[in-house]
Amino acid sequence: MSALFLCLGFFLAASIRAHAQTPEHAKTNPMAAPDVQRGQALFQQSCSLCHGVGATGGAGPNLLQSGLLLNRKYFGDELSLVIQGGRPDRGMPAFPMLSADNISDIVAFLYARVEVTSSESSSSADSALKHLLTGNAAAGKRYFYGEGKCATCHSPAGDLAGIAKKYPSDELQAMFLYPRDNKVTATVLLPSGEKIKGTLLHHDAFYVAIRDEDGWYRSWPLQDVKVQVADPLSEHEELLHSYKNKDVHDVFSYLETLK
Amino acid sequence: MSFRTLKRLSSAGAAGLLVLASAGCLLAQNSGVKNSIPSVSDSWPTFNGDTSGRRYSTLTQIDKDNVKSLKLAWAYQTHDVMLKSTPLEIDGILYFTVPDHVWALDAKTGEKVWEFRRISHGDHLGQRGVAFYKGRIYFGTADAHLICLDARNGKQIWDVEIADVKLGYYISVAPLVVKGQIVLGTSGDSSDVPHFIEALNWETGKVIWRTDTLPKPGTPAAKTWPNDRVMSRGGAPAWITGTYDPELNLIYWGTGNPHPVLAGVVRPGDNLYTCAILALNPDTGAIVWYFQPSPHDTHDWDAVETPVLFDANFNGNPRKLLAQASRNGYFFVLDRTTGEHLLTSQFVPTNWAKGVDAAGRPVPDPAMDPQPDGALVEGSEGGGTNWMSPSWDPETGLFYVNASNGYTLWYLELGPHNLPLNHEGGYSVHLLDKSVLLALDYRTGKVAWERKEGKGMNFSGILTTAGHLLFTGDSSGNLLALDPSNGDVLWHTRLGGPMDPAPITYQLDGTQYVVAGVDGVMYAWSLSGSL
Repeated sequence: MSALFLCLGFFLAASIRAHAQTPEHAKTNPMAAPDVQRGQALFQQSCSLCHGVGATGGAGPNLLQSGLLLNRKYFGDELSLVIQGGRPDRGMPAFPMLSADNISDIVAFLYARVEVTSSESSSSADSALKHLLTGNAAAGKRYFYGEGKCATCHSPAGDLAGIAKKYPSDELQAMFLYPRDNKVTATVLLPSGEKIKGTLLHHDAFYVAIRDEDGWYRSWPLQDVKVQVADPLSEHEELLHSYKNKDVHDVFSYLETLK
Repeated sequence: MSFRTLKRLSSAGAAGLLVLASAGCLLAQNSGVKNSIPSVSDSWPTFNGDTSGRRYSTLTQIDKDNVKSLKLAWAYQTHDVMLKSTPLEIDGILYFTVPDHVWALDAKTGEKVWEFRRISHGDHLGQRGVAFYKGRIYFGTADAHLICLDARNGKQIWDVEIADVKLGYYISVAPLVVKGQIVLGTSGDSSDVPHFIEALNWETGKVIWRTDTLPKPGTPAAKTWPNDRVMSRGGAPAWITGTYDPELNLIYWGTGNPHPVLAGVVRPGDNLYTCAILALNPDTGAIVWYFQPSPHDTHDWDAVETPVLFDANFNGNPRKLLAQASRNGYFFVLDRTTGEHLLTSQFVPTNWAKGVDAAGRPVPDPAMDPQPDGALVEGSEGGGTNWMSPSWDPETGLFYVNASNGYTLWYLELGPHNLPLNHEGGYSVHLLDKSVLLALDYRTGKVAWERKEGKGMNFSGILTTAGHLLFTGDSSGNLLALDPSNGDVLWHTRLGGPMDPAPITYQLDGTQYVVAGVDGVMYAWSLSGSL
């Protein structure tokens, strides 16, 4: 019984959300533009036999993957010329019966198709999350406090509070595996015995450079000093070696609960 | 080889720690087997110096004892984009490129002799250099043309279209001259198109033969695709210049990934001849044999890295060998006469494959294919290595490669009807990359010595010389001269930018020069410094 209520509640919420989004969605739908609609009709008459109703290919190539369409900034109007003159060497006939306006409509339709399919691919945050959220949050929590030893440095109530709200879901997945921002620190021991701490800026086989605690850049040849490096991400690197893909998805699902 | 679109920039900042591994290796001494393809000496007339791909020069004026006295001889400021081409040196003139641009310099002074500029629309990712034959320069362009120039003055002699740029083709390779033919292949990984390798007449630019890098419909190789239509989506571009054995009369050329790039689910099968090493007859273009390092690739593991040719003992017998450190993280040794497989080994840790089959090919692990929720795979996003040229030194018997370790998330994106929405069919997010210079024993694939460079990428190529030297760049902006037997640093200088191409060497009027392109500047070093 309670499960049924939950289901009903879910459907209700889903339908309200869908409703609320509808008008905005229609407004930005590139397929709704008048020239695109005209172009779609013309495309069905003249082009779909070879290129498929959605321009995704048939006997002829998938136009949505054509360099001509995808690299619009390079090719500009070239697409119109191809539609008009055909590609006789590749078996595509010319279409002299199509007016310049007709061709412009077909071009608008094709660009709209590219836009729609690429926005489907990058999709909304919700849809991205749907694909990514395949793990078990409870197992992820166990990993966080157990095997992963994440709680040694992190806490859901502290630095990770609201983490799922701070980052888009696909970014969060990469972020928890190996964070982007990293401040490696170094302690440089001078021959005098003086120790200088700072943010590590450069460390190769020959010299070390840091920004010291007063904000000044300083560098030394390696033969003159001893260097101790502390990389806060070394634990993350160790974990990369040991994660199974299930752990990755479980931990991610757990982090997504930290709204 | 689209170096995968990085959805996340690498963590900037401090370079990592350098660890020089102990070099207690037994050198794979090449006990007196003479290389049937001679090594380059005074000049540098082809992309790889000679046609073997070894990038080993017999010059000895600069050697391991005096290299510490190397001085800057000259520098030439191109005021252009980053140099990615290997220069040629012929009769005192250097020829090198960036997309849309060729320069000729005095190889002793760096003085400009001429420049050729031709603005084109198309992919400007990289231009690897020109070919020279009978006083002419051959230059491939971003709009997939081949231009023939008069080497004396840079005047254009002809311009032929190799492929239609509108479909996403361009030319990145330096052409290879074989029997008076200009051999090149097409590049491009932005649309679903088939690729090819072809030979042109040096005088006229007319096509002599053209070999599609996908099988002909109906042939047994075509059965490695679900059907001809899926196969026609193409792939197998020819990004990097091949090698040539005149005695065996064979050209060796690597091919790139299948399409769609990451969505292998729509193209079950090995997908020949993508991610393969092809042995071609230079007279007809016929494929004599092939070996496929990455069957059914789903990680953009182009097998285009230079197929390096050398003669050496293998299991006690002298053999004509071909070795490739492939982008998929595996090192392969083949008999280059027949294509017989001799050795497969991992040169960087990676887990996209679950083993190696009887033919020596890694077997993909479907769990490590790109997934809708992401697959964490050990291995750098750009592969175990990439376009950077390797080297093989006959004195040490070691194969040198700038390699990369790391971790990457691979995503599959399918649309309605489970079809890929675009040419990629997914995306990748790189997490961590660490570069390492490796010296591999060709007999075992084992690492003889390594030079770890910490976090970051290194795209420098490698040069070895009979002066017992190895020249390369590191990921921290240094040019290094190393002892090729153990990796010890003998000399270094700070370059002020990344060195993307490989260094070269030549000797003119009694002076040996080492030349390297760094960012937009061409530098030359010699023992005496400037003239």
